[in-house]
Amino acid sequence: MSTSRGSIDGVLSSVGESLRGRITNGHLAMFGLGFVGLFFVLPVLFLFPESIAFGTGDPFQAYRRAMTDTYISSFVRSFLYGGITTAVTLALAYLVGYFLAFGTDRVRLGMTLIIVPLWIAYIVRYFGILLFLSPAGPFADLTGVNPAILFSTPAVIIGLSNVYLPFAVLPIYNSLNAIDQDLVNASRVLGASRWRALVSVVVPLSLPGLVAAGLIVFILAAGSFLGPAVLGGPRQTMIANEIASAFLENFNIQFASALAVIYSILLVGALLVFNTVFDIKEVLGNI
Amino acid sequence: MLEVRDFTKYYGDLCAVEDLSFQIDEGEFVTLLGPSGCGKSTTLHAIAGLVEPTEGQILLRGEDVTTLPPEKRNIGMAFQSTALFPHMTVRENIAFGLKMHGYGSSDIEDRVDESLELVDMPDHGAHKPGELSGGQQQRVSLARSLAYEPDILLLDEPLTGLDRVLREEMRGWLDRIQNEVGVTTLYVTHDQEDALSMSDTVVVLNDGHSEQIDSPKTIYESPASPFVAEFVGKSTRFTGPVSTDDGRTVVTNDGEAIVAGRTDFEPGTEASLYVRPEDIEISTTATGATNELLGRVLNIANLGNRAEITVELEDGVEALAHTHRFPDISIGDDIYLSFDPDSVIAL
Repeated sequence: MSTSRGSIDGVLSSVGESLRGRITNGHLAMFGLGFVGLFFVLPVLFLFPESIAFGTGDPFQAYRRAMTDTYISSFVRSFLYGGITTAVTLALAYLVGYFLAFGTDRVRLGMTLIIVPLWIAYIVRYFGILLFLSPAGPFADLTGVNPAILFSTPAVIIGLSNVYLPFAVLPIYNSLNAIDQDLVNASRVLGASRWRALVSVVVPLSLPGLVAAGLIVFILAAGSFLGPAVLGGPRQTMIANEIASAFLENFNIQFASALAVIYSILLVGALLVFNTVFDIKEVLGNI
Repeated sequence: MLEVRDFTKYYGDLCAVEDLSFQIDEGEFVTLLGPSGCGKSTTLHAIAGLVEPTEGQILLRGEDVTTLPPEKRNIGMAFQSTALFPHMTVRENIAFGLKMHGYGSSDIEDRVDESLELVDMPDHGAHKPGELSGGQQQRVSLARSLAYEPDILLLDEPLTGLDRVLREEMRGWLDRIQNEVGVTTLYVTHDQEDALSMSDTVVVLNDGHSEQIDSPKTIYESPASPFVAEFVGKSTRFTGPVSTDDGRTVVTNDGEAIVAGRTDFEPGTEASLYVRPEDIEISTTATGATNELLGRVLNIANLGNRAEITVELEDGVEALAHTHRFPDISIGDDIYLSFDPDSVIAL
């Protein structure tokens, strides 16, 4: 046993020895970058030629179709729902993160409760909400009130905020937890009330976490597919639903690709605008 | 000015401070001195309103402030971590306290300028704290806590973490500024040099209670308890039973007889004697002086302006003596130590 262990170690170390100096950190990074390049960047770039009708008189016909009312409202809805979901989620996540950072000793339990839902498939969680809010569901049973919000905008927002909450709590908790208690103490001794200390010291210092959380939630929420599909009605269709139906139901790859390209450009544009306001690099650099 | 009355603080079952009482007069510089975990920071935080006392009162200008929130106490405080707001410039940091205390905006500008002038940093207003050195940050922290003329200045180990040279320079700073502004100051430290060099009064804390409240001179020369004798300054300790001999009390230490100057021991009780290293004379030959002990040199630490030598006495006690710089002795030499009975601290 010990000899075979020894010989394996010997082989490994001689392999290691022969690789010494030939494999650098740069090589290791190439594996990651190669994977991302092969399965993310190339496929996304590939969408662009797919969206153009080569050899016809109207190569941009798919884009022309995408600029009709139905699809424009889906685009608008995606960004609108993304924005509302982000606002709702950040507010809730800030409360949770604040409580975990300053209000309790049982951080590990709290974190577990935040993380565990991530183990459960989105579809299950959306169906849970669907059943809970349905006219025959436990909410209606217990309260005797039919919430009557299924297949509406509020239902979609509730679902999306719920599902993306953990992604917001983690960065916000991190940045709140990193705040030195002495800074809060100092502001109080300098004459700030609790509220003033929160506004002038705690919130500005947790801004990196808020920005990171906001970016993650907005990007995830704006591109949501399952949430509106399960909890929304025909008037809650978001762009991902349109892309999916063009692709999967109508097999219109060209049109689906055109929608995807437009959406990607709009999203990058929105992030650039956001960047000029917040300077993402600087804010995130402070995390 | 400030009075702490029977202050007691429990954290759960753990007692951090028990029945601590002391007061500070207007303009006085008082130091809470003690090892880490002695309750000095807890006491300071309670005075600032950041920790709620389990029992006891805190009076500021004769008014009971025990339950008042920190922002209503008009206290200035400098932290060991400096606690400068990293997202604000130096000016904004100093202006923060002024704004919170209701100063008008033109008044704030003037006072920020004055404060920066006071700590000799008039050109650093636009910097962020992260761009300053440790000593500069501590000076800004001091300026921030003094800008709105607090009734009392609390300093929580502001010099800990600075290197030796900077520390001594900052001590001079603090002393000068405290004199210039004349603000009542309560300083918390575990560093006896800080305490002895700056304070009017030192409160020595040990394990949540006060061991002695006195001037630095009295604390050093006449410590009230073995803890104070051992914590403040270095010394050699002799212990043993007391016997009586021609009116003076002698403690025998495994056969050695040591004469202490002024004591009121009962014969036969156990006693501790302390001798400061600067009170010990060394000699290579026996001189026949009182309290002469033979030992062997264990270690010589040359400190530049003096040397500190460790001598193992015949009974195993390690004695510490100061000599003139770079003494002409070597490790392993036999050496005679002697000290004046009047310089012996008997407890």
